[in-house]
Amino acid sequence: MTTPPTAPAPRHTLTAARLPALAVGAQLLGSGGGGEVATGALLLRRELDRTPVTLTPAADLPPDTVVVHVGQGGAPDVLAERLADPDDFVRAVRTVTDVTGRPAGAIGVIEVGGLNTLIAGVAAARLGLPLVDGDLMGRAFPRIDQTVTALHGLPTHPLALVGPGGDTVVVQDCAPRRVEPLLRANVLALGGAAAVALHPLPAATLARIGVRGSVSACLRLGERFLAAAGDHRTTPDDLAAALDAELLAVGRTEEIVPRQDLTPGWATLTDRRTGAVVRVDLLDEYLAVTVDGVTRAACPRIVTAVDPSGRRPLRADQIRTGQHLVLLALPALYDWPAEAAALVGPAAFGLDLAPAPHRTPPPGWGRRTEGNRV
Amino acid sequence: MSAAPTVADLLADPLLRTARTLAGHAGLDRPVTDVIAYQGALDAIAGHLVICDARDAAPAYRLDALVRRAQEAGAAALCVTVDDTDRPPLSAVRLADRLRIPVLWVPTDDPFRLALDLTLRVRAPEVARARTVETLVRRLAHHTEGPDLIVAARSVLTADISLVTPDGAAILGDPVPPDTLRPDLAVPQRTARLLAHPVHAAPPAGHRPGGAAPVPAWLLCPVDGVDDSRAETIALGLALLEPFIRSWLAGARTRADHDRAARRRLLTDVVTGRSSVSRETVERAVALGWRLEDWHLGLFVRAGHTPAGDGPDTFVTALVAALARHGLTVQAVAEDDASWDLWASSTRRPATDDPRRLLRDVRRALAELPVRRRLVAGIGRPHQGPGGLADTLTEARNAARLAAAREFRPAVEHTDELGVGQLLAAWQQSDITRAFAETALAPLRDPEHAHLLTTLRVFLESGGSAAATARALGLHRNTVAARLHQVRDRLGIDLDDPSYRLALQMACRALTGT
Repeated sequence: MTTPPTAPAPRHTLTAARLPALAVGAQLLGSGGGGEVATGALLLRRELDRTPVTLTPAADLPPDTVVVHVGQGGAPDVLAERLADPDDFVRAVRTVTDVTGRPAGAIGVIEVGGLNTLIAGVAAARLGLPLVDGDLMGRAFPRIDQTVTALHGLPTHPLALVGPGGDTVVVQDCAPRRVEPLLRANVLALGGAAAVALHPLPAATLARIGVRGSVSACLRLGERFLAAAGDHRTTPDDLAAALDAELLAVGRTEEIVPRQDLTPGWATLTDRRTGAVVRVDLLDEYLAVTVDGVTRAACPRIVTAVDPSGRRPLRADQIRTGQHLVLLALPALYDWPAEAAALVGPAAFGLDLAPAPHRTPPPGWGRRTEGNRV
Repeated sequence: MSAAPTVADLLADPLLRTARTLAGHAGLDRPVTDVIAYQGALDAIAGHLVICDARDAAPAYRLDALVRRAQEAGAAALCVTVDDTDRPPLSAVRLADRLRIPVLWVPTDDPFRLALDLTLRVRAPEVARARTVETLVRRLAHHTEGPDLIVAARSVLTADISLVTPDGAAILGDPVPPDTLRPDLAVPQRTARLLAHPVHAAPPAGHRPGGAAPVPAWLLCPVDGVDDSRAETIALGLALLEPFIRSWLAGARTRADHDRAARRRLLTDVVTGRSSVSRETVERAVALGWRLEDWHLGLFVRAGHTPAGDGPDTFVTALVAALARHGLTVQAVAEDDASWDLWASSTRRPATDDPRRLLRDVRRALAELPVRRRLVAGIGRPHQGPGGLADTLTEARNAARLAAAREFRPAVEHTDELGVGQLLAAWQQSDITRAFAETALAPLRDPEHAHLLTTLRVFLESGGSAAATARALGLHRNTVAARLHQVRDRLGIDLDDPSYRLALQMACRALTGT
C-alpha cells in the first residue's frame, strides 16, 4: 500500500505529469459537486509546462506570509462552457493585496474538491508563488461560508471578484452571513462566473486551523484511483480498498428525482449484491447515502460515485436513470467537530436525517484523520 | 368480538376504497390491533396501523426513515394520506417491499376523519356498525321504490347488493349466481362467497308464525375477501333492508294486479266494441296512452312454462324490454299469467316490406328471453283504428296457434306468412294428423295395394272426378271405377261424403308428404 494521504508530506513540486492524478483526485473529493475539472486541468497544464508550482505546507512558510485563497465562483455549467482567463485570478489576488497593503506570499486552495483545486494552481503558477498544501473545506462545498475559517469565526474579507471583461468588485468589509449572498449576486452580475480571491490569512493561522496536507492527499488519492481503475480486474471492493474508502453500494439507478431549487432531490438505487434499497440525497453534491432506511453516510463525509465500467468519478449531474454506480465514502481529510453540523452537516442542506446508528468502521478506517486538527 | 382485522381486511373496507397498496404486499396479512396518527414519535406501535400525512413524509428521505422505523417498531402498516398531487417516492416503495411492511397511499381530503373512522373500525367495530345501521335506517326511510332502496343500501354499506329471484335472475342490481344457497330454507345464509337474506312474501291469511312462508326473492351480496366484522355489518344491513323491499314488492304487486285488471277490461271493451267504441272507452284508452285511431300491429305471446315464485309482471317487463331493444315499442295486456296481447301503434301505415323484418325482430327478441319459458308468438297484419286493433290481435292469436304446432321454442309466426297451404302443411305435419293417416289408410299401406292408394290420392286431388282421375293416371275409366270400388271395400268409407273426402285427403297428404 502507498503512503497514507495525510502523512507529513515533503516539500515538493506540482508538475504536469502529476496533473491527471490531481484532477481525478479533485473530482473524487468533490463529493459529486465542485464543478467540472477537465477545463481547469487544461488551463493548469499550460501553466505548469512553463512554471512548475511548489507545494508547501503552511507550517513551512514564514509565519507572517500572506496566503490569499483563489478560486472560481459561479454556476458549474457556465464554468464548463466559458474558459477562464488566468490573468483574472492574478488581478483578483492583486486587488486583495492592494486592500490589505501587504503582498501575497503564497496561494491557498479554497476547496480541495472539483475545479477550484486546479484554479488555485493556475493562480500560483501565473503569480510565481508557492501553493499551500491544504485548503479550507477538506472537500467541495457549494457555499463560500462552509469553511474551517467560518468555523473559527475568521473574516472572509477583503474579497475581490473579477469578471470576464476585467470588471472588478472589491468588498472591503463584510459580515460573515452576507458573504454568500453578496458573492452570488455579484457573480450573477458579472455574467455567471468570476475569479474570486479572498481570505488573506497569515501562514501561521492557516497552519493552525486549516485543513493540512489536503492537496498532496488529493494527489495520492488520484494516483491510487488511476492505478486501480487502470486494472480491468479491479472489483468495487478492490477499488474501495485501494482508496481506503467504505463501499456503500453497487447498483443500478432506478429513479432520479431532481432537486427543486434548494430542496434536495434524490436518486434511488437497488444494490445488486444485497438487494438493499439505496437512496442518495443530492443537490450539486451527494449529500447522504441511506441504505434500507438507515443513513450510512452524510455530509460532511465525502461520498463519491464511480461508473463501474468507465472507471471514472461521476458528478451528481452526470448520473442517469438505468446507470450502474459504485458508491463510496472516502476517508475524511478534516474531522469536523459536532458543532459544525449546522454549517456542513445534512441540516445545512435542509435534510433532517435520522442519525445513523453507530457502526464499527472497517479496518484502517479513520486512522488517517488523526492529527488533522490542531 | 371477532379477531383483529388484517391489513387486507381493512383494505377491503369501504373506508379505504380509494387506497392503493404501494408496496409491502407481503405484509398484508398482518393483524391490526390499533390505529395511530404519526406525530413524530413511533413508540409502542407494535401491531398498529400508522397514519401519516404526506407532508410529514416528504421529501423522500422522511418517508424512507418512517418506513424503516415503523417496521422496526413492529407496526402493521403505514397509511399515507395524500392529495392528488402527491407522488410516491420509489425509494420508499422499494424499501417497504424489502421490509415487507405494507404502505398504503390514500387520497383523502379529510385525514382526521379517516383516522377516526379507521380507529373505530379497529377498536370498536360495534360502534362503527351501529353508525352504519343508523345511517342506513335514516337513508332507507326516505325511499319507497325498490331501486332507490337498493341504491341507498349499496351506498351506505358500500356493497354490491342485488335482489334476485330464487333461480338467480336479477330483479334489481346485477345478476348473482346463488352459489350454494339453499332456497328451500327461508333463513339468512352465508356461504364462502355470498351473503343472502330471504325476502318473504306477504304471509297468506291464516299463516302460522314460524311456518314456511314463501320466499319470492333473495337479497344477495358477494363477500369475497371480506372479514367477519364487515360481513356481520352487511348481514345486518340486509336484514334491515328486507322489510323495506318486502313492502315495496307487496305494494308493486297490488298495483300491478289492479292495473292489469283495468287494462284487460279496457282491451275487452275495445275488441268487442270494434269500430264503434264508446266515448268513455276512448277516454280510458287515452289515459293509458293507447292511441286507438292509429295503425296497429298485433302480437300474441304465450308462455308454455311459468316458473313458480315469479311475479306476474316480472316476465312481461322483460318481454316488453326485449321487444323495445329490437325497435318495437308495445303496449301489453295480460290475458292470464301465461299469455299476453301486445301491440305497437303508429300514425302511419307500416311499410310493406315490414312483415319479414318484423318476424325476424320478434324472433330475436324472444330468443333473448329464457328458453325454459317455452314461448310461442304470433304476429298480425297492420290494421287501422279500434276495429283494426281487434283484427290484428285476432290474426296474431291465429298465427300463434300455428307457431304452437312447431316443435321448437321460441316459435314465432306471421299471419302474412301463413296462407291456406301453410295452414294445411302445418296440420299435415302435426302428430295427430299423422296418427290418423296411419290408422285410416292402414288397409292400403302394403306395397301390393300401392296402386289403390295412388288412385285414391289422385281421385281426391281431382275433386272426386273419376274421369279426371283416369286421364291423370292414363287408365280407362272403368279401371278407375273398379279400383275405387276396391278402396271403398277395404276402407269401409263412403267416398261421396265431403267430410270423409276431406279427412282422407289430409291423411293422404300427411302420408305422402305432399
